Amino acid sequence: MTERARLSGMSLTPLVSSLVAILMAFVIGGIFLEATGKDALEAYRILIDRGLLSNTGLTETLKKMAPLLIASSGLLVALRAGVWNIGIDGQFMVGALFSAVTGAALVGDVPDPVMWIAAFAAGFIGGVAWALIPALLRVRFGLNEIITTLMMNYVALNVTAWLVKGPAKDPKIVAPQTRQIPLEHRLPKIPGSDVHIGLLVGLVCIILVAILFRSTVPGFMLDVIGRNRRAAVHAGIPVATLMVVALLVSGGFAGMAGANDVFGVQGLFKGNWNPGYGFTAFALVYLARLNSLLIVPFAFFFSFLLVGGDSMARRADVPTYFIELLEGLMLLCFAVAVYLERRWSQRTARAASSDPATTSLAVAGESE
Amino acid sequence: MTLNGIDVTDFLTAMLATGLLRAVPLAIASLGDVFAQKAGLLNLGIEGMMLSGCFFGFHAAYKTESVVLGMLGGIAGGLAMALLFGFLTIHLRVDQVLVGLAITIFAAGLTGYLFRDWYGGQNVAANVRARSIEIPLLSDIPIIGPAIFHRQIIFYICWALVPVFAWLLYRTRFGLNVRAVGESPFAADAAGVNVIRTRYLAIGLAGVMAGFAGAFLAVADLRIFTIGMTVGQGFIALAITMLGGWNPWRIAAGAILFGMLNALGDSLQIVGVGIRTEFIGMLPYIGIMLALVVLAGKTQLPASLGVPYARGQR
Repeated sequence: MTERARLSGMSLTPLVSSLVAILMAFVIGGIFLEATGKDALEAYRILIDRGLLSNTGLTETLKKMAPLLIASSGLLVALRAGVWNIGIDGQFMVGALFSAVTGAALVGDVPDPVMWIAAFAAGFIGGVAWALIPALLRVRFGLNEIITTLMMNYVALNVTAWLVKGPAKDPKIVAPQTRQIPLEHRLPKIPGSDVHIGLLVGLVCIILVAILFRSTVPGFMLDVIGRNRRAAVHAGIPVATLMVVALLVSGGFAGMAGANDVFGVQGLFKGNWNPGYGFTAFALVYLARLNSLLIVPFAFFFSFLLVGGDSMARRADVPTYFIELLEGLMLLCFAVAVYLERRWSQRTARAASSDPATTSLAVAGESE
Repeated sequence: MTLNGIDVTDFLTAMLATGLLRAVPLAIASLGDVFAQKAGLLNLGIEGMMLSGCFFGFHAAYKTESVVLGMLGGIAGGLAMALLFGFLTIHLRVDQVLVGLAITIFAAGLTGYLFRDWYGGQNVAANVRARSIEIPLLSDIPIIGPAIFHRQIIFYICWALVPVFAWLLYRTRFGLNVRAVGESPFAADAAGVNVIRTRYLAIGLAGVMAGFAGAFLAVADLRIFTIGMTVGQGFIALAITMLGGWNPWRIAAGAILFGMLNALGDSLQIVGVGIRTEFIGMLPYIGIMLALVVLAGKTQLPASLGVPYARGQR
């Protein structure tokens, strides 16, 4: 990374675009709420009050941060290398199922910490396994990962639903679900709080990824690939291998996010259980400007939205889909903000050459 | 002749009829997306445009009890999303994958919100009935008669669009411009083609068709809306466009193939072959990946697909 790029990565200017985008999304969302006959200010007040200012709300927000942090740190590795892993949801589900089955097999027979580590490892393996198919298709046949990872989401929905009705099912219960992990064997709470230690796992993941990109050679290589694939090839970087690794790693992290939810929240895997973190993670990693440490505040913010959104549905009669709408608006406003930012930087420094936001991508059959 | 107590003729009729019905939205959305892709736009917003078409089509049909107005509502819903996509990717030149996914997320949130708010999330059916016509003599042929020659008028209109789109792409100046813009916007611009306008028209057409496809699903076929009802069909249509090599005839064939794949599961279940719904449910998605593998390297993507165009910046 050049000195200039490093500085721009550290400065606060890129953050302005994200904050403006979020603000704009809230304004447009507010107008939309009013247009559909809601009291926008009251709805936003409940959102903040319940998601942030109340004790239970804050606890829930911190809990929900964990899967977002874990999944986002993996997604960041992929996106920084220019790998479009849109299969987070599928990898999450398979990882969750793997970890739930592992937990159900081990619970009570081994010490809890051993079980947790095994379950997170199983989640990681599940996610990697699910990302492996798009990765192999890319290596062997040159298929771009966008469509294959998308398709794998829908396959995962069906495969996990089948497994949880058949081989992975708890035989004692009629409903299609894995054997429940008793409360006392779930992830312990952080001392002095009601938040389970998944949050710490998430923070560790982010720190690892930050170290990867700040001070390791593979991280540097991934960045070069993301910025200019052709240059990376000419520089002798093993582009194909690293891109596959990035895809697999991001799948593994998504799978660990699944393990986190099984052992921190649900205690089991149910058929058709898909919280849909994929798009949220995508939005938040983009708004964090692909910066590892900035993911932490943005994960907190998006988690707060998801938690507050549930309260909005109950107390202000605003359907929970409003949060998804808001996420979409944020990304759309972010697109506008990126454009304005680019014009601004071109005006201030005409030297600005190519912008990562307009880099090209081919869909299939890349032969470099 | 019977199999497990089911008449084989009935089985084949049902399978052909269902398969062709399921193929329609895929074919329609793919036909439109040919123009977007050929003009250099990778339209991941197609899923959102289709879903938008489903909801606004259903809403219009529910309120007016008219199939035609329902279809128009769906077209408007798809077009609105497409223009948003066009503005951000063509005008502002923001990354197409980012914008496409943003449109898909936005449409999922918007339609989910409005459906919950306006219908309380209940599954109400629109009181519409798409009129059918029975073609004399031909409809008396066993199996293909009832499956092909006794269908809704809109069904025939949809399939009639295949030659129309082939003509539009290969025989008109607009089609030529679109193909030129997708291969080399710079050369096209130098030759006097308005690149920006051509791309807007192309994405507009893709949005209209995606909305139409969604409306067909929600209005003509099912007459209900359910949240997230497209379940990836827009993405499948996008893949079929590529698999069909941007050729409307091959795309129609591909859509029928995937429609049949959908229908196969239903039909096997009717006959009593013990196959689980989950296996049937994932067939189209696996099918797309297999088809991509089989055709890998055999199709040449439009050279400028995914690349924004700015005059004088190469």
